[in-house]
Amino acid sequence: MKGKIVSIHSFRGGTGKSNVTANLAAQVAMTGKRVGVVDTDIQSPGIHVLFGLDENKMGKTMNDFLHGKATIREIGFSVGDHPGEGEGRAKLVGSNLFLFPSSIKGGEISQILREGIDFNLLNEGLQTTITEFDLDYLFIDTHPGLNEETLLSIATSDVLIIILRPDNQDLQGTSVTVDIARSLDVPNLFLLVNKALPKYDFSVIKKDIEAQFEATVTGVLPLSFDMAENASKDLFSLRYPDHEWSKSLRGVVDFVLAAK
Amino acid sequence: MPGVFDRLDKEIKDKQKEGGISPLDLAGLPPSLRKIMRLMLRELQLSYPRLCEVMDGMPEAERLSRSDLDEALSSLTQQFWLIRIGEGEKAIYKVNLRRKEGSKLAAGIWSALDARLKNKPKDS
Repeated sequence: MKGKIVSIHSFRGGTGKSNVTANLAAQVAMTGKRVGVVDTDIQSPGIHVLFGLDENKMGKTMNDFLHGKATIREIGFSVGDHPGEGEGRAKLVGSNLFLFPSSIKGGEISQILREGIDFNLLNEGLQTTITEFDLDYLFIDTHPGLNEETLLSIATSDVLIIILRPDNQDLQGTSVTVDIARSLDVPNLFLLVNKALPKYDFSVIKKDIEAQFEATVTGVLPLSFDMAENASKDLFSLRYPDHEWSKSLRGVVDFVLAAK
Repeated sequence: MPGVFDRLDKEIKDKQKEGGISPLDLAGLPPSLRKIMRLMLRELQLSYPRLCEVMDGMPEAERLSRSDLDEALSSLTQQFWLIRIGEGEKAIYKVNLRRKEGSKLAAGIWSALDARLKNKPKDS
């Protein structure tokens, strides 16, 4: 059976989408699964930072694939073989976690913006990633908001996790995404609340949001100064496994693994 | 000098580039066709016998008759939302996704940006 596609999306920026995606993928990989992470946020890529990559360390990228200059096999960066510095990431040594980054070179980003994207090729790339690397799960870090590449990843996902903050702008935007996801028949639609103020009762937040969207809230993650201080330098949930944020995130892993 | 087949091939490729389905168009399809398109996107292509098998496995309320399925496949192919390779029982279908168009900003802006990026100091 083919691996599952898990798209992580948020209607607005700044929800902590890339951080959640990287940590979630790492936690799933820690259970022994073969996991890939694709950065389809081609206009403003960032998830590579959480895996210790920068412009100098980055090899071939999704941009190279979309321009016919690299195969999917050449792009996959083995985090298990090269976890880089970072106490948290060091725990990933030997895991089967692969990153498929997008380029952070200005010229290559502008080339994509100028020339557009061949979606047949992008979809072929995503599906080939699963088969070539024999993945159990492919996590897709999407661009915030609803652009075409995000819609493509939603349309082909087995699991869609929409991240939102308990904020009225996020709530309104999320309702649009939920409607679209439902019209595209996403089999497993989940919500994840991030950056919730600790002074509130998280069980009330969960209940209210579930009632509003008629969808499962997989977790409520607290707004954390510790997380902000980490500044994407390391995978927070691996470095501080006993932190409240990490514990709540691990609860989300169960939903991903149980999804049919 | 290009032959007839080269010209036909070019014509098909040009039409593929012009047309294609957008992910949002999928939402407007009937449930059974949406499921088939989704499966095709995941599998990259499906043979006609496999399409029939998938349709037969759908709930009765969503299931299309063989003639309705054939008509739908023909219509989607004519719109270039699907690409058909081969004929009849041996046909293979692929989804043809519409290309995301590039930015409409004036070409001069991109060349100016590229020139700036090429001259960017390494450490900035």
